[in-house]
Amino acid sequence: MEKQVFDFGINTTRRHFLSKLSLGVGSAALGSLLIPDLFRGNGEPNMDDIVAGLPHFAPKAKRVIYLFQNGAPSQLDLFDYKPMLNKMHGEDLPESIRGGQRLTGMTANQAKFPLAGSVFKFAQHGKSGAWMSELLPHMSSIVDDLCIIRSLNTEAINHDPALTFFQTGAQVGNRPSMGSWLSYGLGSENQNLPGFCVLLSRGKGNGQGVYSKLWTNGFLDSVHQGVQFSSGENPVLYLNDPDGMDRAQRRKMLDKLSELNQGTFSEFGDPEITAKVQQYEMAFRMQTAVPEITDMSKEPESIVKLYGPECLVPGTYAANCLLARKLSEQGVRFVQLYHQGWDSHGGLPNEIKGQCMDVDQSSAALITDLKQRGLLDETLVIWGGEFGRTNYCQGTLTKDNYGRDHHPRAFTVWMAGGGVKPGIVYGETDEFGYNIVKDPVHVHDFHATILNQLGLDHEKLVFKHQGRRYRLTDVAGKLVKGLIA
Amino acid sequence: MNSKSKPSHQYFADWKGIIYNLAFFLNGLLVFLLVFEERLSIPFWMQSIGRMHPLVLHFPLVVLLLYSIWTLLVGKPESTRWNSDLADTLLLIGTFTAVIAAFSGFVLSKEEGYEADTLFWHKWLGIVISVASIVWYSTGKYLPPWKILSKIIAVSFILLLLIGGHLGGNLTHGEDFLTAPLELSSEPENKISFEEAKVYADLVQPVLKQKCYACHNAEKSKGDLQMQTKELLTKGGKNGALWDTTRADLGLLLARVHLPLDDKKHMPPRGKAQLTDEEIVLLAEWVKGGSSFEQMVSAISPQNPVYNYAQNILGGSRTEESYDFSAADPGKVKELNTTYRLIKPYSAESPALFVNFYNRAAFKSSDISDLAPLKDQIVAMDLSKMPVKDEDLKTIAQFPELRKLLLTFTDIQGRSLSELKKLTKLRELSLSGTAIKLAQVKELESIPSLKKVFIWSTDIQQEELAQLKKSRKIDFETGFRSDTVVLALNPPIIENEEQIISGNTPIKMKHQIPGTVIRYTIDGTEPDSINAPVYDKPILISKNTDLKAKAFKKGWYGSKQVDKTFLKSTYRADSVRLITEPDAKYKAKGGKSLADGVKSSAEPGSGSWLGYRETDFQSYLLFKKPVKASSVTLSMLRNVGGFIFPPVRIEVWGGSDEKSLKLLKTITPQMPDKTTSNVDDLVFEADFAPQEISCIKVIARPLAKLPAWHPGKGQKAWVFVDEVLVN
Repeated sequence: MEKQVFDFGINTTRRHFLSKLSLGVGSAALGSLLIPDLFRGNGEPNMDDIVAGLPHFAPKAKRVIYLFQNGAPSQLDLFDYKPMLNKMHGEDLPESIRGGQRLTGMTANQAKFPLAGSVFKFAQHGKSGAWMSELLPHMSSIVDDLCIIRSLNTEAINHDPALTFFQTGAQVGNRPSMGSWLSYGLGSENQNLPGFCVLLSRGKGNGQGVYSKLWTNGFLDSVHQGVQFSSGENPVLYLNDPDGMDRAQRRKMLDKLSELNQGTFSEFGDPEITAKVQQYEMAFRMQTAVPEITDMSKEPESIVKLYGPECLVPGTYAANCLLARKLSEQGVRFVQLYHQGWDSHGGLPNEIKGQCMDVDQSSAALITDLKQRGLLDETLVIWGGEFGRTNYCQGTLTKDNYGRDHHPRAFTVWMAGGGVKPGIVYGETDEFGYNIVKDPVHVHDFHATILNQLGLDHEKLVFKHQGRRYRLTDVAGKLVKGLIA
Repeated sequence: MNSKSKPSHQYFADWKGIIYNLAFFLNGLLVFLLVFEERLSIPFWMQSIGRMHPLVLHFPLVVLLLYSIWTLLVGKPESTRWNSDLADTLLLIGTFTAVIAAFSGFVLSKEEGYEADTLFWHKWLGIVISVASIVWYSTGKYLPPWKILSKIIAVSFILLLLIGGHLGGNLTHGEDFLTAPLELSSEPENKISFEEAKVYADLVQPVLKQKCYACHNAEKSKGDLQMQTKELLTKGGKNGALWDTTRADLGLLLARVHLPLDDKKHMPPRGKAQLTDEEIVLLAEWVKGGSSFEQMVSAISPQNPVYNYAQNILGGSRTEESYDFSAADPGKVKELNTTYRLIKPYSAESPALFVNFYNRAAFKSSDISDLAPLKDQIVAMDLSKMPVKDEDLKTIAQFPELRKLLLTFTDIQGRSLSELKKLTKLRELSLSGTAIKLAQVKELESIPSLKKVFIWSTDIQQEELAQLKKSRKIDFETGFRSDTVVLALNPPIIENEEQIISGNTPIKMKHQIPGTVIRYTIDGTEPDSINAPVYDKPILISKNTDLKAKAFKKGWYGSKQVDKTFLKSTYRADSVRLITEPDAKYKAKGGKSLADGVKSSAEPGSGSWLGYRETDFQSYLLFKKPVKASSVTLSMLRNVGGFIFPPVRIEVWGGSDEKSLKLLKTITPQMPDKTTSNVDDLVFEADFAPQEISCIKVIARPLAKLPAWHPGKGQKAWVFVDEVLVN
């Protein structure tokens, strides 16, 4: 045996060694063809490569306008027609339907959960025959352009986590907002405007706050942060150069400042410094770009009639819809509106009337307006709140007055344009409007579908932060093919 | 252990013999069963033996292959190098396992659900292998492996094993199992769009193809049924037509599908891929709807379950257009990108580029012509709101690949619109907001690819639109027309925030919609659209005024009324001295608050109201120089729920100093009742003959007992005052 080992040793020549080595290397080389990421160090794709590879496929939509109805509108009074609730008005919600759904602190102590039928009339509209409430005559008239999802569902039951979930894909704060993800993934189309703008308005109904964490860039570069426009006469303040300073001087000042910042950057390497420089440059270009957009005086009267007369009153929802169209038309990737006042825990019939007066005409107008300009197919418009409202009454139920509590299990959101199917109703709830019986769409699925419309694979749009790769859809989300045209 | 090992060793000494005999026995059994196959019935407990087939079959396959290869390789003279003993053992193990595999396979073949042709050949090959191998083992002693005959046998064995194994694989996994992945990648999925899809061709047929064709095709036609074509389907099989809508079960096809899985007649047979619930619903709905072969998916009602099924099957396809040009030089694309001109590929992989222009002021015609190097890649151009002239259309027409062109709100007049006829791939064109005319647009109909034209807000008249709508080929989007729409205006806005007007501050109003007329009154009447004065310059008031205004405009309904009360304050008191102290909770800034010229909000806790409950409100207003006064106004608050009532009595005294005061006026305010609104501003004006005054004393007495209807009946009411104005 020892001799064999010895013989083996002296018989192994360099030639043997090299031929065996070449085989070994050859096999590894062949194997590596099957694992393309093998030699990229940790199998970790470079962040720049991720962004350079975007969009992953040709997008249907280039831009998004998200009409967020903050406070959660009642789907049972607007979209999801449930005559059963009128028939059983005042009767208790069967336990089998509630099925252990948790309650908010506001109704947890209620002895009874009396069903409340909507006091508003519903009718079918358009070719699709979708049921719509009498509160929304304008939306009803464009129902064949809408893709109504009756089966959205979320995990949160209170405003803050639910809003944060819808906007950032997580219930806890400090994750990047959807608009920031898109700005990161697709950049701004127009270099003279931010890629992500936020417009606020409030109705007279019971309101819930909105706060800047909803349009935060989270761990993404701060150039992707949402830029909040102010609700007054001047949506962007301090656009004019101070007296005695002209454009050339301003330019010179910025160049000098940028030089100083570059110096500091080469010393410390903080990426926030370059972000700051970019923001100054953007602000400089915005000085000429923004006045053109925020000047509403050139809008023809037909536009004023389309959106309603309020659209020229700064800070109203109608004015924000018009401004959203103008921003989007100029290449702003994501325009986020929030309209407050939908949180009708009591006196719902009265409150919701006012809210619908605020939003119905101008929301529908936005669709019509984009359509007549040839932009609807490349602009995705989304309308909806953070959850739905319960089919049972909160507080005292009378024949024509009731309140509704938060309901995360099933609610309605609509989309239009941007390559989603027009004129369909997707998903279905049971006859109590409480549970989804067909085609549920979770918030993660919703996000995945929106990203898909913009040419992004939600599983590939990632950002590595503190050792973990993050996505808007976290570790879930499924493309809802039935929504896509 | 040791004591037992010896006898067991002896017992196994001739283990080869035992195995050989066992294999021989089993082969005999197998042949016997084969002879009487027709009369055979497999007891249920033996089914498990049958199902062991996939478990054992790989042993003989490998072992016999090994032995065959050994036979091929072995040379003469037989030497120790060739391990004949080991080879002999291999053949024996192969023979034994082959018969077990063949036997179990034979049992398994009695179960339903295997494709007959393949099964036939597989079964016989398996049996041949089993029998042949035991013959080979038996004759091995007489046939040395280096003989040419041995080599031939070995090659035959290899072939038999490979063919038999392949057929078995086909039986379990399907015929194209091996090649399927190759076909999928070589043939890109050509998905049809929802609009163009047909119910039969794109929904029903794929299901039949996947789940039924395997047995019902030209080669097999089980039950004399073939399903590949419309004619064959309609013909049915030996049991008759496939569907019959007059029957509750909709006829044979669905009846078979709905049978329990254990039923012999259930389709697809047990062991084959089954239909999903959705597919069954699809078939049922299709049959119910008259089993049409031509119906379009888009024609079915959205309430029909097939509609949703179709959405899930047909939707979501990324039907990316494939372009027959190659990508432009990325360096060139980058070079031509400016802050006002975005050029980007549709996706990272796409050769097609789109161009967007921004900033009207910076636009030059050359911004379009500069793009010439990319003319073979640019498929979309958005020139909305740019000052594009008719001449520029000629340049635009040089981009032959354009599919989408937006000229919304450009300066084109349409004179050279016909230039665009050169764009033979153009599909979508927006001319909204331009001055184009009907005739110019009609010319475009000759572009064969053109599908959609946007002509909202152009010079084309309403009557002319009807002519265009006749076009079958092009969809004209005419958008929203406002001519017949009459809406109510929103109310005008009164710009003055401060309600107290001191000096000559004018009252200003505005309305955001240009051309709106504001009409107003100051006498408390409702302004109308004819007689009420038109607001054309800021209003100056000389006394307390209730301003009411409405907006009017031709083509609109008048607005709702807006109103606001303005309190005139001519003389600001130089100092205020409170005679009685306000309640500690509501003392504002003391006397100063009464003459600060700022009207408080209706919020009692706003910190600018003086509140009195236990005592009267009494205060001096002092002027350094005498003023010629004719009225004193008290601005107060009513908040019924908050126990804040008007005072029962107001007294205004005046004179040259504190000691020479005369009572100038007494007011007894109206008390609220149950029907009065809860909260309101109260204004009490005490007028008197004009006179020179340096000192004014004001007294207001709270209600001592709240009325019986009030929740706090019998308790004292509050009075709240925030301003005392002298005119």
